[in-house]
Amino acid sequence: MAEKLEPAKVLYCGVCSLPAEYCEFGPDFARCKPWLIDNAPDLYPDLLKEANEKGVDNVSDKLQSVGISGADGAPSSSQTGGTSKKEEVKRLPGGKVKKKERQEVIIEKVVRNKRKCITIVKGLELLVRIKLSDASKKLGKKFATGASVVKGPTEKEQIDVQGDIIYDIVEFITDTWPDVPERSIFFIEDGKKVQAG
Amino acid sequence: MFKKFSLEEISSQNQVKASVQRRIRQSIQEEYPGLETVLEDLLPKKSPLIVVKCPNHLTLVVVNNVPLFFCIRDGPYMPTLRLLHQYPSIMKRFQVDRGAIKFVFSGANIMCPGLTSPGGVLDEEVEAERPVAIYAEGKQHALAIGFTKMSAKDIKSINKGIGVDNMHYLNDGLWKMERLD
Repeated sequence: MAEKLEPAKVLYCGVCSLPAEYCEFGPDFARCKPWLIDNAPDLYPDLLKEANEKGVDNVSDKLQSVGISGADGAPSSSQTGGTSKKEEVKRLPGGKVKKKERQEVIIEKVVRNKRKCITIVKGLELLVRIKLSDASKKLGKKFATGASVVKGPTEKEQIDVQGDIIYDIVEFITDTWPDVPERSIFFIEDGKKVQAG
Repeated sequence: MFKKFSLEEISSQNQVKASVQRRIRQSIQEEYPGLETVLEDLLPKKSPLIVVKCPNHLTLVVVNNVPLFFCIRDGPYMPTLRLLHQYPSIMKRFQVDRGAIKFVFSGANIMCPGLTSPGGVLDEEVEAERPVAIYAEGKQHALAIGFTKMSAKDIKSINKGIGVDNMHYLNDGLWKMERLD
């Protein structure tokens, strides 16, 4: 009788869920590095050398502040309304780096007639996993007004909502999708005045 | 192939009856004789086998909320990468060179030059239209699961065009979905 096959035990990275040796091709190697140093030092011996070179204190401080949850590695985390862009360096085949799609929601008010205006919401699909058509339906229902998905001047699509709801919409977005931070919502006031939330 | 795959992409989910279950077990057994001993544990006769249908003629074989195999149309059943990592010896191996790794990671099909260059390894016996495991130069674990478009001999001689279709790769939609619930 053939011997029973035993399942091989694979070490999957805690951060990117890939087998540990593939972390360098994963979405965020920088985040994997601290995990790798702890759990799989033999796979990336250069990491250990790097860590030692920079000086143990410096690295351990940085590691503690960065953490595995992947906050922005900016040293000054105390500033208000900082632009917390999720760093995802998407490399196209060929080595070119895709321009970072900033994960922010932009809300703009455009005047249609003298009294009437529309509110444009851009960038919602980057922060929330939702189809824009579903999002626009929800918006329309909530504010009892017309909402539609429109193709903007670039390839990006945006949601147009009739009426002036820029202040209410911020509340709506943060209520319906609590994982959208208020800091990543911006208004446009005459040329991108970064008015956070 | 599984670039975008989430719970929303499932069109239907059915528990299959015993005859269909037997048929599936048999085809998997024929395809992967190496799994014979463990097949009882993976696909127990008593446990409900759920077949999940998805757009693009894609079928998933799910046991205990864990997807184990998938197949396109009526093609051969292919294991998920997670399963393959546990039992690496069941599939034939192809190896691509290091430069191809990042393309495979974005779902690209594997071109002949990637397999015939110095870093690549071809298993001569593999015929066309067969499932293979794709490994990477210098890595211990499988990188992707592919479906050969040309036999290994043709890949070596012609050395142009797509050699293996990339069906399932690390960190694609199916990999991210460890459990279906």
